Amino acid sequence: MADVAGTEPIGGAVERRRLPLSGRAAFLLVVMLALLAVPLLYPVLVPYSYVLQLMTGAFMWVAFASSWNIIGGYTGYISLGHNVFVAVGAYFSAALFVYADISPFATALGAGLVCAALGVGVGLITLRTRGDAFIIATIALMLIAQIGFDNWMWLGGSSGIAVPPLQMSEPALVKVPFYYAMLAVAVGAVYLSYRIRHSRFGLGLRAIAQDEVKAEAAGIDTRSYKVAAFALSAVFIGIGGALWSYSLFYLRPEIFLAIGVAADMVLMSIIGGRGTVAGPVIGALLIVGFNEWSVSEFGSSELNLTITGALLVGALLFFPGGIVGSLRARGKLPRILDWD
Amino acid sequence: MDVLQIAILGILLGGVYALMATGLTMLYGVMRVINLAHAAFMIVGAYIAFVLFRDFGIDPLLSMVVTGPALFVVGVLLYQLLFKRIADNPRFTEMTVLLTFGLALAIEGILGSIFSNIYHSTEPSYATGTIDLGSVFIPTGQLYGFIASLVLLAALWAFLYYTRPGYAIRATMQDRAAAQIVGVNVDRISALAFGIGVGLAGVAGSLLSYLFTFFPGSHLQWIGLLLALIVVGGLGSLAGAFVGAIGLSLIAAFAIDQLGPEWSYLTFYVLLFVILLVRPQGLFGKAETI
Amino acid sequence: MALLELRDVHAGYGSGPDILTGITLDVDEGATTCVIGPNGAGKSTMLKAIVGLVRVRSGEVRLDGQRLNDLRPDQILDRGVCFVPTDRSLFPEMSVRENLVMAGYSIDDKALLGSRIDEVLEMFPVLAERRSERARTLSGGQQQMATLARAWIVRPRVLMVDEPSMGLAPQVTEQVFDVIRGFRETGMTVLLVEQNARKGLECSQWGCVLDLGAKRFDGPADSILANPEIHELYLGRQANGNGSASDG
Repeated sequence: MADVAGTEPIGGAVERRRLPLSGRAAFLLVVMLALLAVPLLYPVLVPYSYVLQLMTGAFMWVAFASSWNIIGGYTGYISLGHNVFVAVGAYFSAALFVYADISPFATALGAGLVCAALGVGVGLITLRTRGDAFIIATIALMLIAQIGFDNWMWLGGSSGIAVPPLQMSEPALVKVPFYYAMLAVAVGAVYLSYRIRHSRFGLGLRAIAQDEVKAEAAGIDTRSYKVAAFALSAVFIGIGGALWSYSLFYLRPEIFLAIGVAADMVLMSIIGGRGTVAGPVIGALLIVGFNEWSVSEFGSSELNLTITGALLVGALLFFPGGIVGSLRARGKLPRILDWD
Repeated sequence: MDVLQIAILGILLGGVYALMATGLTMLYGVMRVINLAHAAFMIVGAYIAFVLFRDFGIDPLLSMVVTGPALFVVGVLLYQLLFKRIADNPRFTEMTVLLTFGLALAIEGILGSIFSNIYHSTEPSYATGTIDLGSVFIPTGQLYGFIASLVLLAALWAFLYYTRPGYAIRATMQDRAAAQIVGVNVDRISALAFGIGVGLAGVAGSLLSYLFTFFPGSHLQWIGLLLALIVVGGLGSLAGAFVGAIGLSLIAAFAIDQLGPEWSYLTFYVLLFVILLVRPQGLFGKAETI
Repeated sequence: MALLELRDVHAGYGSGPDILTGITLDVDEGATTCVIGPNGAGKSTMLKAIVGLVRVRSGEVRLDGQRLNDLRPDQILDRGVCFVPTDRSLFPEMSVRENLVMAGYSIDDKALLGSRIDEVLEMFPVLAERRSERARTLSGGQQQMATLARAWIVRPRVLMVDEPSMGLAPQVTEQVFDVIRGFRETGMTVLLVEQNARKGLECSQWGCVLDLGAKRFDGPADSILANPEIHELYLGRQANGNGSASDG
């Protein structure tokens, strides 16, 4: 091992030290300012609505993948049923909007809290299992939710429920509130992920992922840690789901509970780098961009699902560390993307 | 409905479920693979049967001679190309779940782009026929499906208990290392078991094609159902899968009668969920050390 | 030339460190060689590496001068090396008779297999008595007898037995060693790993002390038994006779 350390180019080490910590912060600041400024480009930016919608979608998936990563990456408990929280968040805010006329922008945070509470409940039950049994339990959870929502007539059942669209005096700007709201969700989710990664709590989660028995022997209250991670991973998924529902005119359970939604969160995290802060962000941007490209090139087709599946298989076999993990293993991860 | 009538329907379907679940539990037994794509392979079998029926008028029961071998080959390839190379992964089973999940999505997408997302089924004349026995009736299609399943399962049983490769498969299921020690080439036996397991999904697909309507996405409901059966029976246990299939099918038949058909799958999912929590090794399975 | 030779063998599990750190050992034909050493010395790993259950990373394992490395376990068995692991590795849900059939999986001749099964059922009356019962219902001693019967069906050139006395009552242990002695008297080469070092050496001609993944001493079994230094280091602490062989 000493040999390996010795062969690391000295220049690299020096360069690292020369790059001030604020370099990364400066980069992120510039990115944030740019993202905040995008909607101000109206009407220079064409097609305005399209760009805003695309970016809003990207923010949402950044939030979803980063949130999934808390339980699926840091803690090592792979959930294939996390889209349940999207559906719960979406229907919670939509129901309050349809039946009580409260704007989803006002109830989105509530949706996140409801999902966290649900996460505690579900986590207390499902996290009694581990490994493959846990994965199967999360699939069962999703299937149960599908049947539940399909038959919950108060929420429209499988045929769905109409949501009055947002009205604005300038119709062209209708995407703007969604853009900023979803940007906030993405920033919140990534910040939460970052804070967890750099906390004692996050260290405990990673110990659980490595070896749960040893983690427990080391005095970590694994049960509470896992349930907390599960609940925290639901918060921003619920908020994102609530905002998503408002941007649709019509909600049907299958929009959120389709297997592809659950699969995408997993895929994005794995492609970007499971268990890293930047990985899910990169993975989400990549997959959203790729989907957009393939839809514009080949049209929307069922084959998108095939691509998702094939990418998942390929990533697992050839890039188990994902982009961030593989780059780091080779010492080529740019400092500005190393948020761990 | 009459209790006897419900029991008949439950048992007939249970036999078919047993055939469907056997391949799934076998892969787990041989190599600790949870094949989430098992039901997707069943749907592939169903579409093969559908095309053969639509374009060539071939009876779905007869189509088993195509669907079985075709998916047998798929299973062998799957082992050779995918599972063999990750056999040393310390989190093997978890990996297999994700890999086969990806595989299932890929299959669903391909089927969707060929056949589009609408319901299909084959309609042989016996699919809707019934045999009237006075107070109760027996649906002909389900009876044929039940008989075909039992015949196939009996053949599988004879193969496993009376042939040399059958012995080797059972030995590998019970203790992979011990099988190696007595000279079993577990690599070849695993490939064979994968072929049989996925091939069984293929023949089950032929039955599914006229017993149920299906579309590319329906594999998800099926895998939930099948996982429930094999988890109840104890993962990796062939006899357990059979008992689980008949038992759960009976329970579901009574649930449909009492609650309505939309809740039938819920019976399976809730049972799956509950059993995973209470007794992850299944009702008949042995406790496994992790 | 020795029948079984290990030359600077390195081996380990997965991507973990080397458990065997360069073992060189000769096993003479027709003799019983006993390997002793503390827990974690790599004794079981060595046997597993010889039969191909653990990959040999470097060095060479030879049988009769022919290289065994990189062969599959079933191929190594075909060459005549049979391994009886500590956990006995019977198939728990198969009957005793089915287990014996499985033992002869590498024998293609059905008639030969049948006669050998009959032969061992005669040799081990307790197995004949319980032939149709499932293997998991057997007691520890009966299981050990069944695995030795399995080995006899194969008639290997080299029989390797890992901790035959593990978990057995002293009287049963005695019977087990009697069987192993009987095998040797037919000319079978035996490689024995034993936690109960004194017992193992008493039943052997050659002894070998393994520690930290490499050979420390070897020599005639009685001279090792008599060697005060080895006595002090390795024979003195056999109070924990039930220590597991989990050296992986």
